[in-house]
Amino acid sequence: MARKIKGPQMIVANRLLDGRVVFMKADGTWSAVAGDAAVAADEAGVEALEVLAQKSADENYVLSIEVIDATERDGKPFPAHMKFAMQAKGPSVRPDLGYQVSPAWEQTDL
Amino acid sequence: MYAYDKYDHALVNSRVAEFRDQVERRVKGELTEEEFRPLRLMNGLYLQLHAYMLRVAVPYGTLSADQMRTLAHIARKYDKGYGHFTTRQNIQYNWPKLSDTPDILQELADVEMHAIQTSGNCIRNVTTDQFAGATADEIADPRPYAELIRQWSSFHPEFSFLPRKFKIAITGADIDRAAVKWHDIGLVVKKNDAGEVGFEVLVGGGMGRTPVIAKTIRDFLPEKDLLSYLEAILRVYNEQGRRDNKYKARIKILVDALGADEYARQTEEEWQKIKDLPIDFPAEEAARIKAFFAPPPLQVLEDNVPAVDELAKKNFIFGAWLKNNTNQHKVPGHVNVTISLKPHGGIPGDATAEQMELVAALADEYSQGELRISHEQNLILPHVAKKDLPAIWTDLDEAGLGIPNAGLLTDMIACPGLDYCSLANARSIPLAQELGKRFDDFKRLQDIGPLKIKISGCINSCGHHHAGHIGILGVDRKGEENYQLLLGGSGAEDASKAAILGPGFDENGVIDAIEKVVAVYLGERTDGEEFLATYRRVGPDVFKEAVYGTR
Amino acid sequence: MALVNLTGIQAGDFTVLAEDQTPAEGATVAVPLSRLRDEGDDFFKVAGPVGAVLATDTNYTDLAPLMNKLAFVVIDFPAFGDGRGFSLAVRLRKDLGFKGEIRATGPVIPDQALFLLRAGFDTVEVSDAREAAFKAALKRFDTFYQTDYTGQVSLAHARHGKNQERKAS
Ligand code: HEM
Ligand code: SF4
Repeated sequence: MARKIKGPQMIVANRLLDGRVVFMKADGTWSAVAGDAAVAADEAGVEALEVLAQKSADENYVLSIEVIDATERDGKPFPAHMKFAMQAKGPSVRPDLGYQVSPAWEQTDL
Repeated sequence: MYAYDKYDHALVNSRVAEFRDQVERRVKGELTEEEFRPLRLMNGLYLQLHAYMLRVAVPYGTLSADQMRTLAHIARKYDKGYGHFTTRQNIQYNWPKLSDTPDILQELADVEMHAIQTSGNCIRNVTTDQFAGATADEIADPRPYAELIRQWSSFHPEFSFLPRKFKIAITGADIDRAAVKWHDIGLVVKKNDAGEVGFEVLVGGGMGRTPVIAKTIRDFLPEKDLLSYLEAILRVYNEQGRRDNKYKARIKILVDALGADEYARQTEEEWQKIKDLPIDFPAEEAARIKAFFAPPPLQVLEDNVPAVDELAKKNFIFGAWLKNNTNQHKVPGHVNVTISLKPHGGIPGDATAEQMELVAALADEYSQGELRISHEQNLILPHVAKKDLPAIWTDLDEAGLGIPNAGLLTDMIACPGLDYCSLANARSIPLAQELGKRFDDFKRLQDIGPLKIKISGCINSCGHHHAGHIGILGVDRKGEENYQLLLGGSGAEDASKAAILGPGFDENGVIDAIEKVVAVYLGERTDGEEFLATYRRVGPDVFKEAVYGTR
Repeated sequence: MALVNLTGIQAGDFTVLAEDQTPAEGATVAVPLSRLRDEGDDFFKVAGPVGAVLATDTNYTDLAPLMNKLAFVVIDFPAFGDGRGFSLAVRLRKDLGFKGEIRATGPVIPDQALFLLRAGFDTVEVSDAREAAFKAALKRFDTFYQTDYTGQVSLAHARHGKNQERKAS
């Protein structure tokens, strides 16, 4: 399904088991850090990312996959829109709480 | 308080087992997300921006100290040490893992709590007056009826897949603290000329993008006919409510399309066919349930307690708290204490596990082990002896819970907004925090008097902005957070819809605008006139002019 | 496809007729309600036991004239969330006194098994993969808070040993 994209895109989802926000890396694995995300600049690239992401959904690893506009922050990928930036940063009113602030996130036993 | 019998226990436990099985099937891939979603929603589990969110019912807002301790324990063990009390007498946890939720639900079931039907297109947690059974202005305690409705509506075979969510509220007092006119069904306990208890029945209230105030379809429904009449209302709705458009699916749209008279007629016609069937609870069951809500044995005490008055004179904050945060109990010498969860600069409705435990301890010591949750996102200690107030306030104050702002401008309702909610257009909480900082002078707040500000982060209206004396609605204006200001709403017995004042603002702009609105009020009010009354008397134009200037 | 029998009745063995198909003489067939209305008695004369396939938005009053002619009814759910199907079954039992088989088809889910049973359905057509889950779901609860139209009396009555009573007025 070819479709027009307006600019660079990245993929965000939630992990099935704990719901936490994850961004998809180029190899189809996922990271809590937006800056690790793979960014696609053209339609073919977006489609390739979608296929990879869908594989994770089919394996019941993630849900709620969204292809979102990407921008740059400190030279790294970051969601362009407020809602997804919120996902990347955690609640603005509790900066102490987002999963993103916990570097140990990879080790949590799931 | 109601106590489960073996049947209630069995049902709630089976439900936990069922959900455990559903979660396992989902994780193994036997259920798709599409299939699992409505099932998890019916157990209160949403997916939000950052994680899952679990909504736990506090049926009709009453809970025991032990139940509160379990809520604290869950916050600590499975979440991040806090919970959020909502306008529908629920508590929401913002960070539970899917894999933990069956265990959480089991811990709840063990203390006779659940998350059943706190979401989904079914009959939701029935809400009521936070002072039920304890207030001087009450005709009858509405909670036994709420419990009867809770049981009847749980796992209803016919009404679990309605066109849309369905919310019932009931009040037993003249002063409506449950916003019954804003619900799909509102019930007002009444007595007829013969002194029998029954209900005025209203249908079709709701907020969202089409705010509607409910209309009365029956002036007096005898108590014994409650459930069969509800069944008739629900059957008409289930059959004819729109299913083609989710925004037109609430009962308010059907009532509007048919007209309230026609809705009443169809309900009546169906009810006549079923009212003699054994749908309603037998008198023995009503008696059994009412017995659980028997008033606690309180001693009649002096209303005048010199030590309390003295402290109020010496300490302005305590004095303000005494005035704002206590409500006259029906037994002399007693009050109901509102513990404000609206510290200035804090998150409205949030409480930490430690705060919950403190409140539970206070309940054990001073309020018969009983607690309440209000639809205004506060906690209540009912049945408190007036003489105990200084000790209670001192403990609360040390934990940051002694804020004397109940019913005042900073006692705001705010939804989670864009900080947590995936449907939001704008943040609500930072606005509430900023308002708290701007109006941080209790003398000024006291002078302004009763004023209800209600903030929603989108048109779904979880923050009741349509019913705010001042309502704030977050919208998305070209990718920027923007806030509309509404004036003149009420969620009480004099329910009214707030009207948009004019173009929206950014965060600072809307707070400046509120300052201006308040200034107009202070200038216009007559002696003792509250904000809403002044607004209704003088109309919106003066306010408009002050906020937007003359054109 | 598998057939889950909720009530243990003798389930009908029938074919659903296509729009323009004529029923074989004496055959057990199910057809859309519209066709029964249009073709009327002619249809009933040819076929054997006849059932109606109902959309969930069927107004039950339209069925009244057919009541003594229909052997069974199929309620076809377009989506499992379309709760009208439950009320329609209730109407058939309660308002029309229908005693024949009521079958559910469409994407209903195992977690609705007891709701279907209690609303008045006898049988459900499910995918083979779902059969076991449906049967397990039927056993999940054995007490119920509501009186329904299949003879179940509410817990509020059962608690007081009132299993059969009509309401005292
Ligand atoms: C954070 C997750 C939440 C989500 C996804 C959510 C979703 C929604 C939606 C979609 C509606 C509109 C339904 C309709 O009109 O058909 C709604 C309405 C409502 N919600 Fe929420 N909500 C959330 C949190 C809350 C909270 C925290 C509260 C309480 C503070 C709440 C209380 C309400 C109320 C009172 C309404 C208005 C009912 C009416 O329209 O009559 N919700 N919500
Ligand atoms: S009003 Fe909107 S933003 Fe606020 S909680 Fe409800 S759905 Fe979310």
